[in-house]
Amino acid sequence: MDKLASLLHTTPAIAWMVAKLVIVFGGVFSLAALWTWVERRGAAMIQDRIGPNRAALFGKIKIIGLAQPLADGIKFFFKEDLVPHDANKGLFWLAPFLALVPALMGFAVIPFGRSFVSGGHEYHMALLDPGNGMGLLYPLAIGGMAVYGVLVAAWSSNNKWAILGGMRSSATMVSYEIGMSLAVVTIFMTAGGYDPSEVIKAQGHLPWAWNIVRQPLGFIVFFTCMFAETNRLPFDFAEGESEIVAGFNTEYGSMKFSLLALSEYCHLMTASALIATLYFGGWQVPFMQNPPVMLSVASFLVKMLFFAWVFVWIRWTLPRFRYDQLMHLGWKAMLPMSMVNLVFHAWRMSQGH
Amino acid sequence: MGVVVKKVELSWLDRTYVWPVMKGMGITLRHFFRQLFTPTAKRYTIQYPDMKKEMPEGYRGLHELKRFEDGAIKCVACFMCQEACPARCISIEAEEFSDLNITQGFEEKRPAKFSIDMLRCIYCGMCEEACPKDAIWLRKDYEVAAYDRLAMQYGKWDLMNTYAKADGKELISEDPTPSVPRRTIAM
Repeated sequence: MDKLASLLHTTPAIAWMVAKLVIVFGGVFSLAALWTWVERRGAAMIQDRIGPNRAALFGKIKIIGLAQPLADGIKFFFKEDLVPHDANKGLFWLAPFLALVPALMGFAVIPFGRSFVSGGHEYHMALLDPGNGMGLLYPLAIGGMAVYGVLVAAWSSNNKWAILGGMRSSATMVSYEIGMSLAVVTIFMTAGGYDPSEVIKAQGHLPWAWNIVRQPLGFIVFFTCMFAETNRLPFDFAEGESEIVAGFNTEYGSMKFSLLALSEYCHLMTASALIATLYFGGWQVPFMQNPPVMLSVASFLVKMLFFAWVFVWIRWTLPRFRYDQLMHLGWKAMLPMSMVNLVFHAWRMSQGH
Repeated sequence: MGVVVKKVELSWLDRTYVWPVMKGMGITLRHFFRQLFTPTAKRYTIQYPDMKKEMPEGYRGLHELKRFEDGAIKCVACFMCQEACPARCISIEAEEFSDLNITQGFEEKRPAKFSIDMLRCIYCGMCEEACPKDAIWLRKDYEVAAYDRLAMQYGKWDLMNTYAKADGKELISEDPTPSVPRRTIAM
């Protein structure tokens, strides 16, 4: 790292920051693109179909259809970019970015590997170093921003189906955020801090000391709320073929639609990274005190991708909720459950455990 | 008369919602792995241009005009198929042919032209039923498509060669016996 930095005439800190930016955002973005393929292929397999397997590089190299996201991207770029006549043009253009940027930004504090020391410098495997004062409050706050992407897209396209979809999904996000936050607060409480590195350190390397075992109720609440936050299937009220056409992205086409779709997958990646960090020990390798750096990164990736797969898996297993059922679940089940979780752990802590 | 709807009493385990979800996920995962580890050839989906479905016995696909070993057409131009055809897609022109002189008596009839309009054909198999010589068969090829209408007019030689490649026979474009007698017997 030192050598590379001197070659580029920068300090190691800046070089490392740039490398992290490329790795994290490029990685999350390309994983999200890849996950569109995983989603389609996984759905096909679950339904005893085959899925997209024909897209080939240069018409020849057909690697089980892995070129599909690329082909989709090219197709989207060459589609006509239509802005409806009565749409609010500025917001209409802004909305896809408002949806995508928070989805990517949430990833910034999540440590994706063990910190290491090289050449007298300490390097942290997270965009924002630990002790930045924001900690895990930051992805939660940014997650709240995601409502704007959906709502602005819906509002600006001046379409009644879109606005219905946007309203529904923003209501979902807002009401599930409360249960989610209370579940996370419990973790902050038991970990004694809200910095992700502290949360991970508090969980340790033993799988039975991870938060999933300590707070299964909190996990269920947080996991469910993540589905509502990412607007994915059991709770995908932003869309609805039979009710409101395509929901908030009815009027979108071309690359703008593609960005909106991608933002959902970026959200999914951030959400699964959050789940892995909060409940599954982040980069901790089971039964290994100080794992090698690359192994810790691999461990984090495995956990994250597993949860990303669970998102896909759940989507093709469960039917959708009705809207009132969703609100029932959010306010009458998730919120009390996370409150019980909070009170129970507060009581346990007061007993000196 | 109303139908009595039986309400199922859910157990507390079912009412938690978590357990049924996990059962459902188990089912989908089983399907996922079963499909993942099934070789492509054994999956339900037939990857069409690469793999083709073997049609069942009795399938009525593209027609074939049968031929004898020497390549002579079996059809005797009796017009039965043309009469039987409900879509009126068959049109035949007959001709006489013989190896011998006309006066020697051994004369036969065969189609000079035999064309089927594949755009009109409904693949009902009535021509096959009507044929006294078993000369026209509807077999298993279902890939009847073309870029223009003219290409869908199958002539005599097209129809005789439709399955030549599949059966390992050679393509023919000429009758072994010409319609004009080759030799005459001196009287």
